[in-house]
Amino acid sequence: MHGAMIWALQEPTSFVGRFLEGLTAPKGIVDFLVVSFMLFAIGVLGVLTRRNILIIFMSIELILNAANLNFIAFTRYWQATGRISENMGHIFTIFIIVVAAAEAVIGLGILIALYRNRQTVAIDEINLLKW
Amino acid sequence: MELKGAQIIFYYGLAFLVLIMAVSLIRARSAVHAALYLMGALIGVAGLFLLLHAEFVAGAQILIYVGGVVVLFIFVIMLVNVREEITEATRLFTRQEAVAWALVGAMLIATIIALRREANLLPPAAAPMEEAPLALAEDTQRVGSTLYTRAALPFEIASLLLLVAIVGSVILARTRRQEETFD
Repeated sequence: MHGAMIWALQEPTSFVGRFLEGLTAPKGIVDFLVVSFMLFAIGVLGVLTRRNILIIFMSIELILNAANLNFIAFTRYWQATGRISENMGHIFTIFIIVVAAAEAVIGLGILIALYRNRQTVAIDEINLLKW
Repeated sequence: MELKGAQIIFYYGLAFLVLIMAVSLIRARSAVHAALYLMGALIGVAGLFLLLHAEFVAGAQILIYVGGVVVLFIFVIMLVNVREEITEATRLFTRQEAVAWALVGAMLIATIIALRREANLLPPAAAPMEEAPLALAEDTQRVGSTLYTRAALPFEIASLLLLVAIVGSVILARTRRQEETFD
């Protein structure tokens, strides 16, 4: 078994060898972009499929975090290539966190006012502006 | 920025933590469980920030998101009476799940195509910088100096935004009796 694994590692044309090689290869920017994209997609799925307005808010926070991860990953990447030395991506991320906090405060205030008038948090029962 | 050795193990652990917590969030039946899963996902993202040498942003993420926003969510869950969600009730529009999955699949295909095409446009790290471990104080110093030199005006505008958010949330969430008392 051990010999087979060493053979597979030394022979990257085999499927297992290529899989293990990819698994243990150094992780670059694309791996972080993949995690960021999957987080974004999960957030979009949550916004589109859930009816509870609180969970929709939480999915929006996931989407904002995916954007933050992209900013940080690209800043690190461009710093590692030596093209830029400053860290504007960190600044953008801090501002996104600030705006997300303000958005959560206002959104949850609206939600409390809405719940006081309608006694529901399901978005398909909130149709005052529909017709 | 290549991660090697033990960093790869941390990368996989944090990536799977974030994604599993996110999937659990959008599948959670109760809103309290969803808030706790959101906390797990945000802590995982903060760990990924640490892997990318953004120590100050990771700390701000923990303090503001986990300490502020998630606690605010839990307070609101306590104030409103959240029922169990009835998934078999009327949908928002027809074939909702199918439309959502088709949209996400289209985004996935577009991202793969974009990454394959742009892979040549992203130059490799030709001259790798010396991987000296940045101290927390040093990273905070760099973020602070950039924040107060390059982004001083947006910083002041952010303080105005927070003031408006505080006043707006108080105005929005007060009851009619409170309005009549103080107007």
